[in-house]
Amino acid sequence: MADVSLQTTPRARSGRRNLRLWLPLAWISTLVLAAVLAPLIAPHDPLYQDLFLERLPPFFMAGTEPGYWLGTDSLGRDVLSRVIYGTRIALCVSLIAATATCLVGSTLGLLAGFFGGWWDRVISRLIEIWMAFPPVLFAVLLVAVMGTGLTSVIVAIALIDWTRFARVIRAETMVQAQMDYVDSAQIGGARRLTTLVSEILPNVLPSIVALLMLEMGIAVIVEAILSFVNLSLSSDVATWGSMIAEGRNAIHFAWWVLLFPLIALFLTVLSFSQLGEGLKQRFDPVLQ
Amino acid sequence: MTMSSTLNIQNLTVSLRSGLPLLGQVNLTLEPGEVRALVGESGAGKSMIGKAVLGTLPPAARVSGGQIFLRGQALDRLNAAQRRHCVAQSAALIPQDPLTALNPVRRIAPQITDPLTRIHGWSTERAQARALDLLERVEIRDPARVMRSYPHELSGGMRQRILIAAAFAPSPPLIVADEPTTALDVTVQKQILKLIRELQKEVGTAVLFVTHDMGVVAKISQKVSVLFQGRVMEDATTEAIFTNPTHPYTRALIAATPSYADPSRSFSPVPAELIAQMKSEIAKEEVW
Repeated sequence: MADVSLQTTPRARSGRRNLRLWLPLAWISTLVLAAVLAPLIAPHDPLYQDLFLERLPPFFMAGTEPGYWLGTDSLGRDVLSRVIYGTRIALCVSLIAATATCLVGSTLGLLAGFFGGWWDRVISRLIEIWMAFPPVLFAVLLVAVMGTGLTSVIVAIALIDWTRFARVIRAETMVQAQMDYVDSAQIGGARRLTTLVSEILPNVLPSIVALLMLEMGIAVIVEAILSFVNLSLSSDVATWGSMIAEGRNAIHFAWWVLLFPLIALFLTVLSFSQLGEGLKQRFDPVLQ
Repeated sequence: MTMSSTLNIQNLTVSLRSGLPLLGQVNLTLEPGEVRALVGESGAGKSMIGKAVLGTLPPAARVSGGQIFLRGQALDRLNAAQRRHCVAQSAALIPQDPLTALNPVRRIAPQITDPLTRIHGWSTERAQARALDLLERVEIRDPARVMRSYPHELSGGMRQRILIAAAFAPSPPLIVADEPTTALDVTVQKQILKLIRELQKEVGTAVLFVTHDMGVVAKISQKVSVLFQGRVMEDATTEAIFTNPTHPYTRALIAATPSYADPSRSFSPVPAELIAQMKSEIAKEEVW
């Protein structure tokens, strides 16, 4: 009896962990496929307006038109096609912006946490000053200055959110820097930078990965927010944020225009954060 | 005389940045192949001496006076990189806590072989062979498998034996053993002491053995320095310390040790009056 219970507990736990890894991975793979194959799988042109077909309800309601599965918006554009094309922008922004943010923030966090002294004082003050700005306002301001467009959005996200990485990675690096193995490496003749990169970085990596995934989700949200206030991309590109913004005007009589991009956004952000935790557990030999 | 000693510490003073002294005017020498025990209560500064030699003092502490000669080389005349290289070439550490002294996310093999290839210029094959050899020597079964393992897959006793193997691998002239048996249970302690003594004789390494256990002192060392509040109270051969201790504190320390051989022998704590008297003597000195 005891044997059985001892054996099944870790199994059950690893099963739950796997679900946490595979479910988000499945959704994100679907998004990647949708983004790549958008022209092939989207039933309609996401920009084609047909004012005779405006505000068609989704397939499960009365008064639908065949072929418009998720209905149409106020200009008669197909919601499903727009959601599919929207994945392109969402994924592009989350991938590039989150990676850039991660590189900047983690590097500064590692340097501040390991070298201490002036490095830490300068970087910590910078983080504090940075965090005193309201982030969304800061983003809006940046995009307003740099002009709208994908590059501006990506730069804005990296410039706002690097503090998230820097703070956490600094703290984790400080904890690791006090471990005896760091002294051992030094006594073994390792240079300071070598110690940081090959001894400490691998210990901090699981947190970096988890944060990176979280940041991908956040990047999608920030892009949606900027789209919402019309500061992301020009209106001839379908993005989830702009769909939500347009859907807002028609929320009382065509709620589906708002709902479907919102669901896509919600699932994507949730998937990224869950994937981050799942990967962290998988990466970390100590947690296994 | 200075040139022939493995380690020569003259008037070493270590203090906190706030000015509080941790070590005052410490003198000691270690001849090639000699084992010297540093004994004293916790907080007496035993470990600090080792850390000052190896250059791993905590950030809050610094060497504020005196000199350390490692194989005739004055360490304070070197810059940080030279010092690190000099220490790595001549010294190694057997740390106190085997659970934090190995990097948890790196396999065992590189943690043993890194200093060999990096500082001593060995080929990877030669370093691997030496590591396997020493792991066998410290009675680790299936050393090839252990080399591929992560630290968390091994027991505390095994990890301490790995750290001993790693310290002896480059046959360094000096090893600092910082309470290497404190974190282990008594049965393992005996084994570990035996291993250190055997390897020390084989390799001809001088050992600075930090401990608070007078029983261990009797077993392993030829010379003893008795420390109290960062000062050397008595410096003598082990034989003299046990047969004819001159300082009342040394006598009190020996009296405070329970005997393995004769458990019925009574033992008593260090008398409070003695400690108060010594503290007031040190305080008088510091006024000067």
